[in-house]
Amino acid sequence: MKFDTVIIGGGLAGLSCGIRLAEAGRRCAIVSQGQSAIHFSSGSFDLLGQLPDGTPVEDPAEGIAALEKCAPEHPYARIGAQACERYAEAARKLLCEAGIPVSGSPRRNHYRITPLGMAKPTWLTIDGYLTTPSPEVLPFRSVCIVNVEGFLDFYPEFIAEAFRRHGVSCRFASVNSPDLENIRRNPSEMRSANIARVFDHEQNLDRLAARIREAARECEAVILPAIIGINRSDAFEVLKAKVDLPLYLLPTLPPSIPGIKAQQALQHRFRALGGEYFLGDSVLSAEVEKNRVKSIRTVNHGDIPFEAEAFVLASGSFFSRGLIATPDRIVEPVFGADTDFVPNRTEWYTEHFFDRHNYEAFGIRTDRSLKLLKEGSVMENLYGIGAGLSGFHPVQEGCGAGVSLISALFVADRILNSLKS
Amino acid sequence: MNIQQNTVSENNFEQCIKCTICTVYCPVAAVNPDYPGPKQAGPDGERLRLKKPDFYDSALKYCLNCKRCEVACPSNVRIGDIIQAARIKYGPQRNTSLRNFVLSNTDLVGSLATPLAPIVNTAVALKPVRMVMDKVMAIDHRRIFPKYAHGTFTTWYRKHAAAQQAAYPKQVAYFHGCYVNYNNPQLGKDLLRIMNALGYGVQLLDKEKCCGVALISNGLYKQAKRQAEVNMASIRTAVNGRRLDVITTSSTCTFTLRDEYPHLLQLENEDVRDRIELATRYLYRLIRENGAKLKFREDAAPLRVAYHTPCHMEKMGWEYYSIELLRMIPGVEVTVLDSQCCGIAGTYGFKKENYATSQAIGEPLFRQIEASGADLVATDCETCKWQIEMSTSKPCEHPLHILASRLA
Amino acid sequence: MNNTYDVIIIGGGATGAGIARDCSLRGIKALLLERSDISTGATGRNHGLLHSGARYAVTDHESAQECIRENMILRRIAAHCVEETDGLFITLPEDSLEYQSVFVEACRKAGIRADVIDPEEAIRLEPSVNRTLIGAVRVPDGAIDPFRLTSSNILDAKTHGAEIHTYTEVTELLREQNRIIGVKAYNHHTKEEERYYAQVVINAGGIWGHGIAAKAGITVNMLPAKGALLIFGHRVNHMVLNRCRKPADADILVPGDTISLIGTTSSKVPFDQVDNMVVTPDEVDLLLREGEKLSPQLAQTRILRAYAGVRPLVASDDDPSGRTVSRGIVLLDHATRDGIEGFITITGGKLMTYRLMAEWATDLVCKKLSIDKKCQTAEIPLPGSAESREEVDKKLHGKPVVQRRSTIARHGALAVEIEGNDSYKNSLVCECEEVSIGEIEYAMEHLAVNNLVDLRRRTRVGMGTCQGELCACRAAGLMGRKDPVCARKAKADLANFLNERWKGMAPIAWGDTLRESEYTTWIYEGVCGLSDQEVITEKTAAK
Repeated sequence: MKFDTVIIGGGLAGLSCGIRLAEAGRRCAIVSQGQSAIHFSSGSFDLLGQLPDGTPVEDPAEGIAALEKCAPEHPYARIGAQACERYAEAARKLLCEAGIPVSGSPRRNHYRITPLGMAKPTWLTIDGYLTTPSPEVLPFRSVCIVNVEGFLDFYPEFIAEAFRRHGVSCRFASVNSPDLENIRRNPSEMRSANIARVFDHEQNLDRLAARIREAARECEAVILPAIIGINRSDAFEVLKAKVDLPLYLLPTLPPSIPGIKAQQALQHRFRALGGEYFLGDSVLSAEVEKNRVKSIRTVNHGDIPFEAEAFVLASGSFFSRGLIATPDRIVEPVFGADTDFVPNRTEWYTEHFFDRHNYEAFGIRTDRSLKLLKEGSVMENLYGIGAGLSGFHPVQEGCGAGVSLISALFVADRILNSLKS
Repeated sequence: MNIQQNTVSENNFEQCIKCTICTVYCPVAAVNPDYPGPKQAGPDGERLRLKKPDFYDSALKYCLNCKRCEVACPSNVRIGDIIQAARIKYGPQRNTSLRNFVLSNTDLVGSLATPLAPIVNTAVALKPVRMVMDKVMAIDHRRIFPKYAHGTFTTWYRKHAAAQQAAYPKQVAYFHGCYVNYNNPQLGKDLLRIMNALGYGVQLLDKEKCCGVALISNGLYKQAKRQAEVNMASIRTAVNGRRLDVITTSSTCTFTLRDEYPHLLQLENEDVRDRIELATRYLYRLIRENGAKLKFREDAAPLRVAYHTPCHMEKMGWEYYSIELLRMIPGVEVTVLDSQCCGIAGTYGFKKENYATSQAIGEPLFRQIEASGADLVATDCETCKWQIEMSTSKPCEHPLHILASRLA
Repeated sequence: MNNTYDVIIIGGGATGAGIARDCSLRGIKALLLERSDISTGATGRNHGLLHSGARYAVTDHESAQECIRENMILRRIAAHCVEETDGLFITLPEDSLEYQSVFVEACRKAGIRADVIDPEEAIRLEPSVNRTLIGAVRVPDGAIDPFRLTSSNILDAKTHGAEIHTYTEVTELLREQNRIIGVKAYNHHTKEEERYYAQVVINAGGIWGHGIAAKAGITVNMLPAKGALLIFGHRVNHMVLNRCRKPADADILVPGDTISLIGTTSSKVPFDQVDNMVVTPDEVDLLLREGEKLSPQLAQTRILRAYAGVRPLVASDDDPSGRTVSRGIVLLDHATRDGIEGFITITGGKLMTYRLMAEWATDLVCKKLSIDKKCQTAEIPLPGSAESREEVDKKLHGKPVVQRRSTIARHGALAVEIEGNDSYKNSLVCECEEVSIGEIEYAMEHLAVNNLVDLRRRTRVGMGTCQGELCACRAAGLMGRKDPVCARKAKADLANFLNERWKGMAPIAWGDTLRESEYTTWIYEGVCGLSDQEVITEKTAAK
């Protein structure tokens, strides 16, 4: 199989890179080992919430400029502050065009509200999800928090506890219906996706709307877990029209409906642009000649290799096994590329779960154009993007989604430029 | 020191880190609350069954073995295999119901039915007969049976094709499967036509049995293994003795021969596995990689085809080849339907107790097909074809049938 | 409030719980004070091995005899905490077969059935065993769940009138001349100090008993010995596997509920470290290296966590150097030993002999209080053990099968108290270990649960493969339902729970464990926005 570019990894980074290249008319294939971490999305995309030393960031663009000095190995610093801001804007457009309606600015963080009711700085949030311009202020004085009876991955009490600290009065309501009870017959499958399927049906949306109207009388707004609209994309709009109150969604524990929707939207967009998405396949080996990757072979396609001009490694970090940790080293399993890590395992982490752990910043070593290195030599047509890159703490710094999107678009540009020249 | 250097676990289920992604893509759990879902039935349940076999839950029988959980799993857990293997290891060891026997012995029933095809076809189409089958055998009366052919593919081949096929300079072997043999010999003939056009003669295997997929899903493992052994022996003779590649036209047979044999029946096939493949993939390689050319009719009417990816095709990851072949045909416009289960899963949807589940699973696909504006649906799996034709207004054909019908 | 008792027991390990039960069965009014939760010390940090005594047969005849007697008693009275797996003592090519005959002879002398079996037969019985073995002896070892055992003793003690105060730390022994008359204790929940009085105060504090005795100016010469263990993700072996040689490091592999455990190492630690047991990489390596010899499969099995306990070894009173230690039971009457009335220390021993230790201590209490009642703890089954698992199973057929089996394994006959046919109550909180809402509500109501870590000890919530990643939030959600205070506390509790789980994962955090941790970080710190500020809030609150 011959392509212009083959991307290994079909998550946020891989898909956005593929979309950008396909938009430019390149023939791309994505090989993905199972579904991606987008499935755990909070409904928001973070750009930069904190500097490595813990200083909160209000203006991510400014924060990124600061990274150039205080964290020169950070992928943002290597891409450059100005380019980052440009790519951030391009990324927002890319998401919107893929059918993921997001708002936000790289010049000013807003705050998303978490399933525990906490406020976290973020960059882009999908329409419908509760956000605030400041962590102290909520857009209502009273709210009705609705949950589905027996749904264990959403916690109205926790949210209320946090809201009440800000003087918001909270009331609870729960919904039930024969269809929901039917799911609950199964002790484990009362999950967001199955509930959302129930609310794809009009009569269940009607019932939900009626319950909300009844319970939320005297409330300024309504909060609902993200269990609306898995196969029917207008479900939330339809519900909003039926409930005559501001209605906000909050994310749930996995699986995440906004995540599933985002994954599907990006995949559709990629395919619609002519991209080929190979799901459930793993790369076995690569044919490399003089620091150039010529082809890769996969489990499913065996003797028919994927050949391309350029290759992009977007296989993620440990979760998706883009990085593998053995007791004494960090391995990149596809190409055996060079990785950044400290050899002594006791230095990988501290004994406190919430600390900033060194392992989180381990990853593939790349040069300034994000080309991979192997035994010290630059691989001419192999780029690394996304969570597998080294030099940043995605969760602590609140920059995971941003690094994926920006590195993806940066590399897509590199590939397009190299083809031109 | 080789202490857990790569943490490669023989117990593949331990790679599961409870991310719950599989639960989103299980077609059964979405519609049938009696099924524990892939995570509970698979890795979580396996851990408990290893503690004590009495943690086996008979509800595992609702798994339709589509393997979509495996395709979705980011941890490479062989969820579907774990569930099927548990059914084999802990489930009921004897399954003597007449219904399951009839449904799973496609070979036997097929060879009894084809000589009587006109009678059998008329009979199973009659409402009273279907009601009796429903009552006596629990085969749902709403289910439409595939028609039997008037004479098998193998009989036709021996009489009319064998000598002529042997004359070609290059040869391949063909595992035709029960469907081509008893229900749709035309597809076999289509394949011959295409292969011949590329200069290949098509040989039958020395001895071919049903691949056993239905036997496995109905708990008749011993018989499945016996048939598998016959097939593997024939395939080995073809590959090693006659130096032939083995091609197939059914995605499910292919998957069973290549992957279910070693994973579920413990029948090693590593030496020949790579030589068994779908004809569409074989053709893709000949045309795209080796420069072979097919001549198509110029005058054929435009045709809009919507491709449906069968579950086992999705698992093998080979739908690409069928779709690319369709795209090569002048005048054919291909759209690809979302990859989702049609609900039939071989014999699963024939059973009275599964009928509602089966149709509910397929419903989103049926809707998409109706809305697609396509003239016909193409797919590589015969049972998907039956389900789609029964449940939608569109005809459904094998990609090779479409291709053959447009050859110059 | 009446704060006078016949006896105050300090320490909520198996021994303390056993004493509380024994006393209350004999009509003695008992108060048990535990500074944290029950079974948090050495009780909950060992192999969970129902020793046959074979391990001690050669070196310590007396301990071996005690073990086999208690072994037979526990199978009867604590049936729901015990799994009758039997065990193998295997001889590997590097060991001497001569030891086997010495071993078998010693077992017979101690009254332990020891059958020499063919290596082939051993492989058939236990397929995970190292196939290079050259000899095997089958003995009546088994598995015992220390959390269930302790909880069950506490439950029965309460039923018979004992009072149990957990999270209540003894800060002072109240003394009148040469008599201990009670204790002063700090309640970590109410933040208040209380005084309790009794005729006898029993020090059952395990290794912490050293410090308790010191409050009375008494020296009990203890040697804290750290033992590290590893938990594997699933049950690798179905019989206990031991090496047939002189007891050494990492030579016992025990199947415990859904997992297997290898242990232990043995090293002396200073007293100031007993609250801070961290397993080192060297210990992990040693455990794996030796463990693989028992069962090579361990090399390919996921490790869930590492932990360590501290054995309360006691030096003989007549050996001030502290070199001669006894693993036997040590009962000290401080009246005769140190001239201090109303105070006794029970220590040494092991989980296996907790009941006997309780019996000895209670006998001494009876003598002091002039009560003439016989010990009944060897005859009366513990709550949950009165009916066989099969009988209970029949009563609960409305519950989904996997959940039913899991619940019965944990609660024995008491599983019937957990709602059976309600789909809401049957919803799973912990999917790895099949813990339902009903079971959690039962534990919260009846089993003195104060936080998620306690809940884990009662129900196995968070003990499965995901180590709480999926269920911690759900369980916290249930615990936080009552009111705003609960919700705030439950959030802090959730953060603490994740910290506690991580402590056990950090020593082995590579491969799938690191993947799991990274994922947990994404969910809790990323999606949920939980931070250590919540932990700090709780810590400050505790002070």
